[in-house]
Amino acid sequence: MSVSGNTSAQATITACAASDAGDDPSVRAASPPASTTRPDLPRFAAALQISASLLWIPQAAAIAFAIGNIADGAPAQAAILPALCVFVIGILRAALERAGATRAYDAARAHLSTMRARAAAAVATRSPLDALRPSSGLVASTLTEQADAIVPYLARFQPLRISAAVVPPIILGFVFVFSWVAALALLMAAPVIPIFMALIGWQAKAASERQLTRMGNMNAFLLDRLRGLATIRAFDAVDSTALRLRANAEELRTSTMAVLRVAFLSSAVLELFAALGVALVAVYVGFHFLGELNFGAWGGKLTLAQGLFVLLLAPAFFEPLRDLSSVWHDRAAGQAGLEALDRITRGGTKIVGGPESTAVEVSGALSVWIDGLTFRHAESANATLSDFALSIDPGEHVAVMAPSGGGKSTLLALVAGLSSPDNGIVRLGGEPMNHASAAHLRARIAWLGQPPHIFSGTLRSNITLGRPGIGRRDVAHATEAAHIAHLAAQRGHAMIGENGAGLSGGETLRLALARAAVGIRPGLILVDEPTAHLDSVTATEITDRLLAIAEGTTLVVATHDPALAARMDRVVMLPAPAQLEVLA
Amino acid sequence: MSRLSALRPVLALFWAGDRRMLVYGTLLSFTTALAGIALLGLSGWFIAATSIAGLTLITALTFDVFMPSAGIRLLAIGRTASRYGERLVTHDATLGVLAHLREHVFRGFARADAARGLAANPSRLLFRLTIDIDALDSLYLRVLAPVLVAAGAALAIAAALVFVHPLLGLSSAIVLLAAGLGIPFLASRRAAAFARLRAHALEALRSRSIDLVRGQADLAMTNRLGAQVRAIEAADIRLAQADRALNRAEAGAGFGLGILSAALLAGVLLAAAFLAEAGTIGVPIATFAVLLALASLEPFALLRRGAVEFGRTLQAATRLGPRLTNRSDPPKLGRSAAHGMAIRLESVSVGHPGAARSVLSDISVAIRPGERIALVGASGVGKSTLLSLLAGELNASSGNLTVHPCGLLTQRTELFRDTLRGNLALARPGASDTEMIAALEAAGLASYVASLPGGLDTILGEGGAGLSAGQARRLALARLLLRDAALWLLDEPTEGLDGNTARDVVARLDERATGRILVVATHTRREASLADRILVLRDGRIAADVARGTPAFDMELSQLRPD
Repeated sequence: MSVSGNTSAQATITACAASDAGDDPSVRAASPPASTTRPDLPRFAAALQISASLLWIPQAAAIAFAIGNIADGAPAQAAILPALCVFVIGILRAALERAGATRAYDAARAHLSTMRARAAAAVATRSPLDALRPSSGLVASTLTEQADAIVPYLARFQPLRISAAVVPPIILGFVFVFSWVAALALLMAAPVIPIFMALIGWQAKAASERQLTRMGNMNAFLLDRLRGLATIRAFDAVDSTALRLRANAEELRTSTMAVLRVAFLSSAVLELFAALGVALVAVYVGFHFLGELNFGAWGGKLTLAQGLFVLLLAPAFFEPLRDLSSVWHDRAAGQAGLEALDRITRGGTKIVGGPESTAVEVSGALSVWIDGLTFRHAESANATLSDFALSIDPGEHVAVMAPSGGGKSTLLALVAGLSSPDNGIVRLGGEPMNHASAAHLRARIAWLGQPPHIFSGTLRSNITLGRPGIGRRDVAHATEAAHIAHLAAQRGHAMIGENGAGLSGGETLRLALARAAVGIRPGLILVDEPTAHLDSVTATEITDRLLAIAEGTTLVVATHDPALAARMDRVVMLPAPAQLEVLA
Repeated sequence: MSRLSALRPVLALFWAGDRRMLVYGTLLSFTTALAGIALLGLSGWFIAATSIAGLTLITALTFDVFMPSAGIRLLAIGRTASRYGERLVTHDATLGVLAHLREHVFRGFARADAARGLAANPSRLLFRLTIDIDALDSLYLRVLAPVLVAAGAALAIAAALVFVHPLLGLSSAIVLLAAGLGIPFLASRRAAAFARLRAHALEALRSRSIDLVRGQADLAMTNRLGAQVRAIEAADIRLAQADRALNRAEAGAGFGLGILSAALLAGVLLAAAFLAEAGTIGVPIATFAVLLALASLEPFALLRRGAVEFGRTLQAATRLGPRLTNRSDPPKLGRSAAHGMAIRLESVSVGHPGAARSVLSDISVAIRPGERIALVGASGVGKSTLLSLLAGELNASSGNLTVHPCGLLTQRTELFRDTLRGNLALARPGASDTEMIAALEAAGLASYVASLPGGLDTILGEGGAGLSAGQARRLALARLLLRDAALWLLDEPTEGLDGNTARDVVARLDERATGRILVVATHTRREASLADRILVLRDGRIAADVARGTPAFDMELSQLRPD
């Protein structure tokens, strides 16, 4: 056993390594801007919905015409044709409305799928060494609830916005043909409406954001307490906590209502103008008929049918605006969702190469050759690794030791191509780790992280991870090798709790060992602090299992357990970062 | 109907809360709907009446314009006011329901069986809980109130039409109620399965996303990273199928209501024409009837959303319902509150349901008052299970045991988003500031707390965020020290602390534990050195029981992990 330190720099190799790492310039830079912006608006869908709204005009005309006939004393049969028109146009409207809504929905939903897949792919290749890498909780909430919010925004809000710009002017035009006063009455409300719409939009956005935060707080308070139930139960504090929860929710209710009182006021103003607009038209037409307002109908006098037509169009003038205001909060949530997806999709440092390799070859133990390796974490002033060199023979077992924060985990991640070094080269089995080779090199590495991740699923699915070609026998063999056959007997096909809840630290590690022992025999095993947090009996046992599984394979173990290190062929000490600065 | 019975506990909860607000909210919604319908009807009547009156000068002059025109303005303003009130009251009522619901959900999940389930899958169950609560939130606003309002409005319209012609009133009541409520009902039937599918797909999407991030390195090395992304896409495809089906159900209901509206409008128009021809009604009433028919379906349109979400609401009620009933915990087995009594376990076994082997088997041990026990053994041997048993959190599959009220220091520090005072008061609700500061002093945190501008009123973040791991552990320790219980259970009390802090915490525990039974699950020497007696667990049994002062004790101690 020999202890080797950091070797000196080799200028030529460093330069060569730089060119090697440089074959994918986008790896460390922000990835090229993806077109995650709004998709093309489903114009056809919006056109269908607008047509549906506009079909109200002939429908209203048919109703007005029929009632005009009644007033003129026409026979009841004269109402049959208009009634048929009302019915048929009504069906057509409903059909157009449905076609428009479903088309708009499908377009929006397809866009959501695209954005989700893109975000998932981006997250999959984000380097775990990137300090700004989003947490699992953030990714989960962004991909689920937040992403979902873009559908109503794209499918409802966007078509309604077009509708609100197109439909009212056309309706106003029809009213204007019969009575400029009625059109004026509607128009009087109109210039006020955009101002109030802006006000409402602004208010509603602020209010809904504040309210969302508060509602979020209400859930957060509940979840926070539920996460600490063991303590609350042990201290017999269930009742007092429930009452606190209640009081907290009541407080939130009071403060939220104070916000809503103002927010709803501005939308009430829109309602008021819409209602007054209709009332004004009705009263004007009535007085016009009585001869008291003898103007406004282009010098003539409106017939009942014309007056009724104008009245029926008045609510339709305001309807798109009211619809738009009712979905205004979709906009804030939808834009927030788009931004959140964009944030986890763009930028960040990436792992080397793609997510998977199609060609997986089987061969023996891999040598590891590292030279001039330099890596600095984005947020730290000092390099974690500086001009580091190391050569490991195939089948050699090496312990990497360093004080905590000394770069052991970083080194393992760089060897596995989970991040590109700032400088230097990693060769596995003589092949340089680069964009082209990384995925198939990684497929030959077995990884035991600290702590190993336990996936949602059964014990068996946690061992196979869905890898093809792993049979029942292979799994049995692996559980035997990792000494978890008893656990397999105990657990059967039961789902394992989240993050291995119910599994001890030792069991979690044995499970990860079984994962490494099954399938294609790895050429290299990378292990991060396997014996930390274990009692000495379990630690010894885990070490025995690890060495048995790593027999004939290259093994690199990052550890600060002297007992484990002593059982390796060689121990490599990483220099302390402070020394590195002196060296550099 | 059996499906709907799942709603019973939820409805009972709503009713037990601020029911006046729920009723007022519904009444105001009803008033708003009626005012809107009346505004249209009255306007139509007014126009038609004035057009007839305006035919001759005399009738024009004698026509009473004041009442109807004032009525129109009143309805316009009244509708706005009632709409504003409706929105305020229904939101207030919903917030009240939320407050009530959350309290009861907490109580439900705080029961022993639920709490154990939650501990195994916190993230998944808490996510499910959140979406379930949200689904129940909309029960009042999207389902209950709109159904009542739509039905009420239909009856009011029918009542008005009865005055036009009894048959017209009766037939429109039947059509409105049957089709207007039937179409959303059918939509909810059609959507129910997809609403549940959606919830499952969303859960799958969520847990696969978490696995993608947390298990990224494992997936990358097993060449499964691409497969995991595809698994996420597959969950999204299932979600999209459910989403589309739900959208079709909603659009279908809209289509149905649209046809109903057209049919009703055409029908009433024809009926009005024939009634007018027969001289039963005049033109103003005919217009009034047609405009009522026009407005009659507006309240039903609001039911579409509620209908497609109703399947989710039912599922949420089915899942949360059992947690909402006021069933309290079964009494903890053999619980005895007496101070100074021994703890006795006689042939106690504990097994996971359905598992082939028990976790603990045939454990018999007696612990004297004031005795300190270190519980050691390899990882996974059942130390935490034994602690849960002693805390009364777990029932034995067989055997007898006597347990005490206890104080517990969990392995993972459990602190809450609250003030320091609130966190401490959990252990002793009436504790004075002096007592709290004394406990903080004993835990070695008093000077830090004194240095905070807010002192005991300093607010901690979620899970106690804002404190370092060591400070958090000390605060949890101070909380335990406030607890005057005869039994203290400690699960790896210094795990994750640096050596100095750990030794300090052990020394402080040693000082304050006098006279109590102390049971410490540990695998470090420093923690076990607190004990008078070491119990060694192996394969779910007590393999050794050694007292301080014997060579065996020193031997067991020496086998533990040094600092």
